[in-house]
Amino acid sequence: MPSRRIKKLLIANRGEIAVRIIRSARMMGIRTVAIFSAADSGALHVALADEAQPLGAPEPAQSYLNIKAILEAALAAGADAIHPGYGFLSERAEFAQAVADAGMTFVGPPSRVMDAVGDKLAARHLAIAVGVPVVPGLDLDSRDPSEARRFGEETGFPLLVKAAAGGGGRGMRVVETPADLGAALEAASREAAAAFGDGRVYLEKFVARPRHVEVQILGDNHGGIVALGERDCSIQRRHQKLVEESPAPNLPDSLRSRLLDAAIRLGRAADYRNAGTVEFLVAGDQFYFLEVNARLQVEHPLTELRFNRDLVADQLAIAMGEPVVEPGAPRGCAIECRINAEDAAHDFRPATGTIAEVVLPQGPGVRVDTYLTRNAQVTPYYDSLLAKLICWGEDREQARRRMLGALGEFALLGIETTAAFLADLIGSEAFAAAALSTAFIPEFLATWRPDDARLKAALLAAALRSRSGSATPAVAAENHPSRTRSPWTALGRFEPWSDR
Amino acid sequence: MKFVLASSNREYEVEIIDRDGSTVRARIDGAEVVARMETTALGRVVRLDGETFRVFDAAQRDSLAVAVGPAHFTFKTAAGVRRRAHASGALQVTAPMPGKVLKVLVVEGQVVAAGVPLITLEAMKMETTLCAEGAAVVAKIHVAPETKVDHGAVLIDLGPAPSPTGSN
Repeated sequence: MPSRRIKKLLIANRGEIAVRIIRSARMMGIRTVAIFSAADSGALHVALADEAQPLGAPEPAQSYLNIKAILEAALAAGADAIHPGYGFLSERAEFAQAVADAGMTFVGPPSRVMDAVGDKLAARHLAIAVGVPVVPGLDLDSRDPSEARRFGEETGFPLLVKAAAGGGGRGMRVVETPADLGAALEAASREAAAAFGDGRVYLEKFVARPRHVEVQILGDNHGGIVALGERDCSIQRRHQKLVEESPAPNLPDSLRSRLLDAAIRLGRAADYRNAGTVEFLVAGDQFYFLEVNARLQVEHPLTELRFNRDLVADQLAIAMGEPVVEPGAPRGCAIECRINAEDAAHDFRPATGTIAEVVLPQGPGVRVDTYLTRNAQVTPYYDSLLAKLICWGEDREQARRRMLGALGEFALLGIETTAAFLADLIGSEAFAAAALSTAFIPEFLATWRPDDARLKAALLAAALRSRSGSATPAVAAENHPSRTRSPWTALGRFEPWSDR
Repeated sequence: MKFVLASSNREYEVEIIDRDGSTVRARIDGAEVVARMETTALGRVVRLDGETFRVFDAAQRDSLAVAVGPAHFTFKTAAGVRRRAHASGALQVTAPMPGKVLKVLVVEGQVVAAGVPLITLEAMKMETTLCAEGAAVVAKIHVAPETKVDHGAVLIDLGPAPSPTGSN
């Protein structure tokens, strides 16, 4: 691959990751081009980029998954490179190829690497070939439930249905009994087809109470591959990560070095280029290869804080032909919490609306990656990630306490989020004790009750507002939150709250 | 004063007993609560049970949104609650969020028990299935697969179940 300076980068994404990429590009003196759907014209990434190109209707297929429209936008803007972020087109080999064919640099692995590892089934076969252990599984060419049922009887239920093109837990289903198999295969395939445009699914034996540990790798265009430590991402619900940390606590050093070694072996076998993540299940002192994520990962800031680097800058440098160098020793511990637009008390039901107010935490060891601003719109079209809080500490306990403080400072008015749930989780004995497994969230939810004091405070605030304002609570006289004249502020004196 | 928490439909009775400066005495569902409610450099704060919470609120279309520290609550307004009650005995299944109808799992005239799946929606790339909250008969279906729906859109009208014990 010829090395070439990137002068103008189009970011084929939205939300916090588009903001994140713009910052690194700007630091490197690269001009940035944002793209946006009709739902995102007022979004932060559009405001921050040097230029912005509209894409069309909000639906992903018309906008952030629309290869033709994105390439046209890049050519119109005179971009010489495209960063795909994560999700959307980031792991589509055809997109990487189309970018290269259009004469631009794709900031990520080339299509042949994606073909080798981006497809989960192909990656399994590669792992087997280089002697990396995999979970027992069944490659389903068709969605014929009878063959699946046979595999289930041999291996035993529960089973896990996964999408070959999957990621982020989409198109994934746990199947407890043979009777549920047909419906699960169908639903997973439909979800995968909707999310990735590829409905192929396969089956794996469900490993009970495993930990989910992944290794960050970087590969350059000259055959160099390095590993930058591991991240424990066991705290998930519906197979989507909620809390991640690095290093993986209580992981024996011998197991850690076997994991890093397996990741590098896989990377070499795939001739891996740019940033990638090799995911493993860990159960006891056994580990199994899960998949390679051929892109930047949502939780990459954990690695950045411990290794004191900028992985997006690394990606851009690699894309420009720079070699990777062995990293120094990592330092301290980092924890990330994903604040999603979801109601944790009601099965993480998605929430949409307008952000009326947002307060982001600050302080030593606290980082916030977000696209949240006052008046930001959270629409139903895209995933629910609003903000990532990442806290660093000299040790896990310091990072954990900083996270507790940061979540306590976080406030957002307008829609339900997972922040209060996360505050309770980070404060729990189970998390403090690092009792990590993928069963953490279901077990935590079984005993979790939202803090009563917060509800009481909210009820008092609501009652006070109604008393000092109009007769009925919050009758919608004004419909724009920022223009709403609160009865409290209308009092003309600011302390204490009181009737007029 | 009654407040209905939108996420759970639970009703709370709040009564302000008295106020002395920033100290507020109130009863919430009969239990007495004493809180200090002040305006500080952080904006409004409520000090309650030894904790200090930062509070924001805003009137929304049919509700009052209140953020308390990292938590968020949406209370239905009296008007919003009334509107729902006016549905004259008939129950309506409405979209909990904007999205797209994937599957309609019942037909008009069908009698359903509590917990029976009625309709599958897709929003934020996740599938959500709405189930009957109680025994009912499917009176009218307003949507079909691929229909795009807004938050609160009426999907299905339910009527009283034809059971002799049919109460609410």
